[in-house]
Amino acid sequence: MAQTLSRRMFVGTALAAMVADRAGAQPVFRLGLTPVFLDNDAGVIDGLRHALSRGMGRDIELVQRRTYQEVTGLLLERSLDAAWLCGYPYLQHADLLDLVAVPVWRGGPRYQSYLIVGADDPAGDLADLRGAIHAFSDPDSNSGYLVTATNLRRMGAQVESFFSRAIFTYGHRNVVRAVADGLVRSGSVDGYVWEALAVIEPDLTARTRVIARSEWLGFPPVCARRDSLASEPVRALQTALLSLAETAEGRQALMSLQLDGFQRATPALFDGIADRMRDLDP
Amino acid sequence: MTWFAPIPLSIKLPLLAAAMMVLVGTVASQQVLRSLAQVQDARIQELARMHVEGLSVALGPLVLRHDNWEVYDTLDRAAQGGEGRRMVLTAVADVRGRVLAATDPRRVPIDSDIAALAGDAVSLDDLTVDGAAPVLSLLAPLSYQGRAVGQIATEFDVSDLLIERRQALLYLIMGNAMAIGLLAVVGFLAMRKMLHPVTSLARQMTETQGKPRSIPDSDIPRGDGELAQLARTYNAMVDAVAAKAEAERRLAERERFVALGRLSSSLAHEINNPLGGLLNATDTIRSYPDRPEVVRQSADLLDRGLRHLRDVTRATLDQNRVDPETRVLGPDDFEDIKLLIQPEVSRLAQDLAWSVDPAAVSASGGPAGPVRQIVLNLLLNACAAAGKEGRVGLIVRSGAGGLTLQIANTGAAMPRAALDRLLGDGPLSPGGGVGLRLVRDLARKMVGTVAHARENDVTRITVTVPTPGEARDAQE
Repeated sequence: MAQTLSRRMFVGTALAAMVADRAGAQPVFRLGLTPVFLDNDAGVIDGLRHALSRGMGRDIELVQRRTYQEVTGLLLERSLDAAWLCGYPYLQHADLLDLVAVPVWRGGPRYQSYLIVGADDPAGDLADLRGAIHAFSDPDSNSGYLVTATNLRRMGAQVESFFSRAIFTYGHRNVVRAVADGLVRSGSVDGYVWEALAVIEPDLTARTRVIARSEWLGFPPVCARRDSLASEPVRALQTALLSLAETAEGRQALMSLQLDGFQRATPALFDGIADRMRDLDP
Repeated sequence: MTWFAPIPLSIKLPLLAAAMMVLVGTVASQQVLRSLAQVQDARIQELARMHVEGLSVALGPLVLRHDNWEVYDTLDRAAQGGEGRRMVLTAVADVRGRVLAATDPRRVPIDSDIAALAGDAVSLDDLTVDGAAPVLSLLAPLSYQGRAVGQIATEFDVSDLLIERRQALLYLIMGNAMAIGLLAVVGFLAMRKMLHPVTSLARQMTETQGKPRSIPDSDIPRGDGELAQLARTYNAMVDAVAAKAEAERRLAERERFVALGRLSSSLAHEINNPLGGLLNATDTIRSYPDRPEVVRQSADLLDRGLRHLRDVTRATLDQNRVDPETRVLGPDDFEDIKLLIQPEVSRLAQDLAWSVDPAAVSASGGPAGPVRQIVLNLLLNACAAAGKEGRVGLIVRSGAGGLTLQIANTGAAMPRAALDRLLGDGPLSPGGGVGLRLVRDLARKMVGTVAHARENDVTRITVTVPTPGEARDAQE
């Protein structure tokens, strides 16, 4: 009896150890981040990582790079399992990338691009900014570049000639800072980021003024390579994102991000951006 | 500096001591301020060097890429640091001098020329917190990997250093003023105390009122310093002068007693001789009362003898009158003198030549007392000098300068000491009498002169006494 019990106990313990080893051996999920949101707040990043890690049942490494191009490149070369991109790079590589989820902000998966100037600047619209120094966020950003560039194209102008100088700050918050500090006269910024900053840094946004808002466009989505969309880690990420609002930790992360949650997205959500991309083609 | 000369030494030296302290304080303050300026310059240069080198490392690649935002972001973050508050403005330009970004983009926009900002900027080694400018401008090359890729212009706020310097100056002035004031007062009082014996000595010497006074022992500084020795020496001198004056007084007293004794003996002789004759006359009258011619002759003899005694008595009284100056000189005075000198002349069997011009005497109008004293003194001296059977003479007449009294005698010449007493004002040599100095003093008081001559073994002393009117004119 004692021997039987001992053997059972041994086998059970060995099986338990094998199961535990398999769970602990799961590779770290690498999620790329672009400066589409408040990436300067370590608390926000940590909150998101913890919430997703808990939801996915595995460790998550959040990978940040300075430009959209770098993050997109890492995703395309499989150095990342998924990335929170922008609609513009997603559409640029729509043949290789697919949508995992899209954030819901103020009740919908859409946002706007803002054209901002200094609070005391008399400019009323984009046309008034001819000859100004302008700040873009990133050349691969929809709200931080594509919208203003296509608006100019629609006006029959070019970024290079319309502005006396255009600089890239590689961060929506940086655009707001550049305009607020007077480094540049105007800037193209993510409307969601500007609104979020208006809540947490009202002194900063108070020194800027929104003179133009774009139409509602698809919110920057979380993407993965099309060929890995069905993989377990990506599925786990999708599940974790979609159910983020169901846990306290997830709700805390969403609250920090000032988002309502995540939802499934279809390519049609980004038709507006696709239209602008076509306008930009020569 | 002529204004400085009249200031007393007791004020001058303390003032000089205070002035020296002010000078030392000023020089010390200058040194402190210079050191402070050097420390501040070194501090600001070190800070600027670190600032430029730090920015060069951080901004080099960004400037090469012309990344305006990153340059601005780096500058902005650097400006948030502790020392960043000293940097009023930092602008970074590319190698052509076009501004890439500045901490105050509104003042120094992108693409503006950095030369406009660096108009009065200096290089790193020339950076100095000097003058009143609260902001210093620096223009330095931005080096990266050994080559200049741009320029950095920085404005430093040094107002706090200037305030520190002004405060240091203020504190130095206040501290030095208090210290110097205190030291000056202490020095002034100490010098005054040290110089007190000198002041006391000067006061004792200037406030003698005819007789020098000793410095009280309480005023003599303790110890054996120069001032104590000076005070003791002065007191010794005062004592010596007093002792000398006392000796002279006693000498004069003695001489007076000698003269008086000599005169008394002469007078006794002059009175004794007639008295013998007078007593004989009274004996004769008693013996021969019935012989009228004998009585008459005896009575005449008595009369002459008594008249002679009366004259001698009157002359003596006149000679010793307490206030003889009040009486004007007359011929009778010379008769008195003759009467007084006669016993001495007779005793020495001398030949007396007497020539007095009564008109000149009456016209002189001089005081009787001093003239009588002068003539009597000189005649007594002349008798003593002429010796036994010598010749003594007096000539009184009117001269050019007033009344001339000439006393002559044979015998030995006057010794040098006697001549000094008669003709000079020098100190009296010990041992001699004061009669001759008295003659000189009385003559000077009457604005007269005394002359001495020695011819053919005859000594002539000539005293000229001006009339009172001439004497007043001469005095004026």
